[in-house]
Amino acid sequence: MSAEPLVVIDDLKIDVRLTRANRLPIVDTATFSIDRGEIIGLIGESGSGKTMLCRALVGTLGRRGAYIAGGKLTFDGIDLVTAKGSAWADIRGKRIGYVPQSALAGPNPVMTIGAQLEESILQDKEFSKGNVKARAIELLNIVQIRRPEVVMHQYQHELSGGMKQRVMIACAIAQQPELIVADEPTTGLDVTVQAEIMRLLLDIRSEFKTSIILVSHDLPLVNQICDEIVVMHAGSTVEKISSRDITRANHPYTRALYDSRIDLVEPKGELTTINGQPPTVGNWPVGCRFSERCNFVEDRCRLPQVLPIIPIGPNGFSTCLRFNELEK
Amino acid sequence: MKKGNQLSRKIFGRFLRAIVVAFWVMVLSFALIRIAPGDPASTKLGIGAEKEAIDLLRKQLHIGGNPISQFFSYLGDLIHGNLGASLQTGVKVVDIINRTLPLTIYLILLSTLCALLLSIPIGTFIGWSGKGPLVYGFRGITAVFLATPNFFIAMVGILFFSVRHNWAPVFGYDTAFPKNLHYLWLPVVVNTIIMTSVISRVLYSSVTETKDQEFVETGIIRGVSGRRFFWFYILKPSLAPTVVLLSYMMGTMLGATVILETIFSLPGIGREMVGAVLTSDYPLVQGILLYFGAITVFLSFMGDLIAYLLDRRVKI
Repeated sequence: MSAEPLVVIDDLKIDVRLTRANRLPIVDTATFSIDRGEIIGLIGESGSGKTMLCRALVGTLGRRGAYIAGGKLTFDGIDLVTAKGSAWADIRGKRIGYVPQSALAGPNPVMTIGAQLEESILQDKEFSKGNVKARAIELLNIVQIRRPEVVMHQYQHELSGGMKQRVMIACAIAQQPELIVADEPTTGLDVTVQAEIMRLLLDIRSEFKTSIILVSHDLPLVNQICDEIVVMHAGSTVEKISSRDITRANHPYTRALYDSRIDLVEPKGELTTINGQPPTVGNWPVGCRFSERCNFVEDRCRLPQVLPIIPIGPNGFSTCLRFNELEK
Repeated sequence: MKKGNQLSRKIFGRFLRAIVVAFWVMVLSFALIRIAPGDPASTKLGIGAEKEAIDLLRKQLHIGGNPISQFFSYLGDLIHGNLGASLQTGVKVVDIINRTLPLTIYLILLSTLCALLLSIPIGTFIGWSGKGPLVYGFRGITAVFLATPNFFIAMVGILFFSVRHNWAPVFGYDTAFPKNLHYLWLPVVVNTIIMTSVISRVLYSSVTETKDQEFVETGIIRGVSGRRFFWFYILKPSLAPTVVLLSYMMGTMLGATVILETIFSLPGIGREMVGAVLTSDYPLVQGILLYFGAITVFLSFMGDLIAYLLDRRVKI
């Protein structure tokens, strides 16, 4: 196993085509890497570009009229920016698994759960029609679905939200991928189910040494299972920090996200919120894009500039100009 | 085991409902033709007929007296499989239907087949990958054909293919299979144009809806491709509304053939019905409407069933 990170994202820019001449940047200056066996939480409010970043990792930007406009994106040394159909065919499903947003999706409504699992399994030439069924049941057992023989014959509308998501995870791990991209896998599920799904992802990581990129807007939830947290705001990664240090974050935005959690164990009285609205795509402010909502803002934050990526600790970074003035 | 039972119970329930609908079609057809103006006896005897002669004929034709008792005697005959005989010609209704129905069925089945062969590729292709001008063009053309009545398209067709070029006959028919196509092709084209406009449009919008769904994305990322992807991730999830609509349209086509067969002078069941209504031929109208009703009910039953088998989210 090489020391090289599994995924390297360096100054990645993603644009969306509005018309023939008109392009809108939706992600720029995204920078971070994922090590093997690491769980990374990708956090941000809606519109921060986290979903688009995931799509770039699985090569389906084109479906939404978006494309990689610059920067570097590699998976195990393979350049994903220039990857063509045949290269993707070897990566998708086999080396990168994908768990979709729970609120929107779920399994294909016109196929039984079994048919979809078998479809995922049969992408691997090692399996044949003879042993595929046993493997499908084994996968359902891994994701802790009770009575897998029954579920195999069911359709998605007969399953609960948590069950659907377990099936999606089973499909994603069918080929034992090195990376799982989970785009808001628990949004809209019951809190208890959320915790179960998170625990399941942790189990999968420890059993198969899979790297997981976990996209969410729920920082406190994700922080419990991630090794590292990457925070996105308005199309750029503003901080990378170890989850242990989350209370001592080096960017005001990360702190604000963490402080706006709803603490059920020790209610804090009044709920904290973040000032203003996240800047919408196409209306990013110059300088630091968080400056308009930030409590620590200074005049120099608002100057037109490319924010420096300031390395902090072994893996982390922050783009806050005043990071060392923040209260620790 | 339990699942199979549930399915067959659903299908059986739907079948029972279909039979109830067919029954009411029968009742309505009986009532409607009697409410409509016109009297079979005076039609048969001509304008100057004596009142006594008309009354006598009414009695002979069993259409005099109380409509309720008439209905029950009709019902009794029906249960024995007897549709009666034409009041005007005395030919048994079953024989008339057997003679004229095949043409109409040919017409409808051929149009449906052609419409499907055109709609599925057009609808899925434009829905999946169409952009800009192609979509506008498609929507414009289908909108024009949707807004144009079938008889107008038929008459333009006759004017062009029959009058100017003599490629299609204006009347006549041959019941033998390959030869009848010579007489049927132009009406089939007219029907196909209309059905294709509707069906490809519905399929197009289903496909545009399907393609943005997350499970399609998941399928792509899972690595599914080719024919398998086309069927399970594009066509099958989009097909249910199209199938339901198609079954409904095939039913309404029965009505549309009344006009088409008249324009093309085809001896089909539609034209037979026009004649029967004009002469107030009660048994014949009832018999034809009963067939129309039963066929329509059967088609919509089959449509719902196939839609359900394709997509279990459909309620039957």
